Amino acid sequence: MKARGTSMTVMAWRNLWRNRRRTLLTLSSIAFGVFLAVLFTAMQDRNWTDMINLASRLGAGHVTLQHPEYLEAPTLSKTVERTSALRESALAEPGVTRAVERILGQTMLSTARESRGAGFIAFDPGAEDSTTLTLLGAIVQGELFATGRDAGIILGERLANNLGVDLGDKIVYTMTDRTGGIVSGLARVSGIARTGAPSVDGGLSLLPIDAVREVLGYAADEATQVAAFVDDQRRADRIADRLNAEVGNKVTAHPWHEIQRELAAFIALKVGGARFMEALIAVLVAAGIFNTLFVSVMERLREFGIMMAIGWSPGRLFRLVLLESAWLGVVGLVGAALITALPYWYLATTGIDVSGLMGQDLEVSGIAMPTTFRVGIFPMHAVVIAVAALVATLLAGLYPAWKAGRVDPVETIKLV
Amino acid sequence: MTAERNSAIVQLTDVTKVYHQGSVDVHALRGLTFEIAKGEFTAICGPSGSGKTTALNLIGALDHPTSGTVVLEGNDLSQLNRRELSYLRRDRIGFVFQAYNLIPVLTAYENAETVMWVQRVDVEERRRRVMELLAAVGLEGLETRKPSELSGGQQQRVAIARAIAANPAIVLADEPTANVDSETADKLIGIMEQLNREQGVTFLFSTHDPRVMERAHRLVRMVDGNVASDERQT
Repeated sequence: MKARGTSMTVMAWRNLWRNRRRTLLTLSSIAFGVFLAVLFTAMQDRNWTDMINLASRLGAGHVTLQHPEYLEAPTLSKTVERTSALRESALAEPGVTRAVERILGQTMLSTARESRGAGFIAFDPGAEDSTTLTLLGAIVQGELFATGRDAGIILGERLANNLGVDLGDKIVYTMTDRTGGIVSGLARVSGIARTGAPSVDGGLSLLPIDAVREVLGYAADEATQVAAFVDDQRRADRIADRLNAEVGNKVTAHPWHEIQRELAAFIALKVGGARFMEALIAVLVAAGIFNTLFVSVMERLREFGIMMAIGWSPGRLFRLVLLESAWLGVVGLVGAALITALPYWYLATTGIDVSGLMGQDLEVSGIAMPTTFRVGIFPMHAVVIAVAALVATLLAGLYPAWKAGRVDPVETIKLV
Repeated sequence: MTAERNSAIVQLTDVTKVYHQGSVDVHALRGLTFEIAKGEFTAICGPSGSGKTTALNLIGALDHPTSGTVVLEGNDLSQLNRRELSYLRRDRIGFVFQAYNLIPVLTAYENAETVMWVQRVDVEERRRRVMELLAAVGLEGLETRKPSELSGGQQQRVAIARAIAANPAIVLADEPTANVDSETADKLIGIMEQLNREQGVTFLFSTHDPRVMERAHRLVRMVDGNVASDERQT
């Protein structure tokens, strides 16, 4: 075998394996810590994105263009005009996939026997489907009305039960128009929907937008909102900002978290908790790395003293130990990738059915949650976890590295 | 005298070293004064506690004197900072320790080239020099062995190769034959004599070993932290 020169990187690598068991234990803790952080984050990323997307498809989109005062005091008198132009503006934004007009409000639904208050969403059936309005994918009886002028209504299943109506039955919907007057329309039950969220199934109805415009006396391009849908919910803020700069002061664009405040607060709370857990994992992993490196340095004080005596500078010894620390981080990350890949792939593609644990009607902040547990990490979060693991490893190595660079050759060489 | 002073590599002048051990002051050196000239093969001997190792530590820029001056190739070591001392050790001083003290994760070749490696000497130049030295100390063919795969004598030969690889001004050897059998000790002394004779390497030993004392060209006897006698031997 030909003798070859070495390098600090190679030397650091060899030093890592001087105590194989200790190194393997440390690598396991790094890999397992990163594994937990990735799955935890992936679960959250997927979960929150699903919730936000579901919430946006429940009525307001990812970005909502509406009257500036509608958010604080929603009434049917606070409308936006030239909705076609607003839709075009929204669709011109990169990332916006759909933009639809809607009228949202409260109504009193009455039959010959019962009356119930409910929310309503009036929309154009030709422009929407279940990717913009969840309820349309949840129609379990009947069908969607054909045009915006149909005299049809779709009710949540519980609401229909409470009203005691079935398909084809007549319902009178009563609303307050922009002048404060009471106006009514007549519709027949054309469909019944079941989402699994009790508040939706028990309190929401769908109506054709043109029929409602006529009842409320709205113009043909007037509505309470234009809802825009984006390919990635994280872009909502930027899109809302750009639209606000464009549409003038009679319309305000709100990102989803301004409309769904309860959901946003819930997610923020959960994300805060998750960050705390991740920080705790990072600290525990870093403590393990610190212990390994520190013990390793203390065992080699004499060797460092010799190296210092033969001309190694304190800085070079510092770098050597920091390189050992970096190796731990890199190998730990590779290990993490290996142990994470398969479980992640399974959870991302197939998922785990948790309906048995959580019941069929799982609802968070009024949003019906999917009953299959899946994961999906944002690539940037994966990068952040990897960088954080490396930084934690290097930080944990700083003190042992400093200690190595501070050895006193005279004192340490005495230690036979 | 002037010519001799000009060729001095090491000059110790009135050097004292006091160690504070609790409330007790231990005077390791008491006004030590002597010089080492280029090309010398010198042994410092004396009983334990006479100050041999302390003197070597001071000459090797590993420690500071309490008073007096230690000058190496014209550099007053007390005037150099930690980094400059590190560079001085790297470039001008070779060390051979009692307990071999090779770096266990490096092969014989890599240990021998360590100093030149930190000096950033060109790879080919390093290779040429290390192979030449390993051959000179009789370790041809053992280049890829780790210290744990070498005998004590072989390890000490690697340590000698490492010490002289970077052409230092002086090689300081602290009891270099203390941990090897007499046959190996003879061979090690022979190797160092040969390097001194053929390559002009300056050696300074601290030793208890009579064989080293006999073969040294100059013998400095220390007692109680000072020079008791300083003899040239033929």
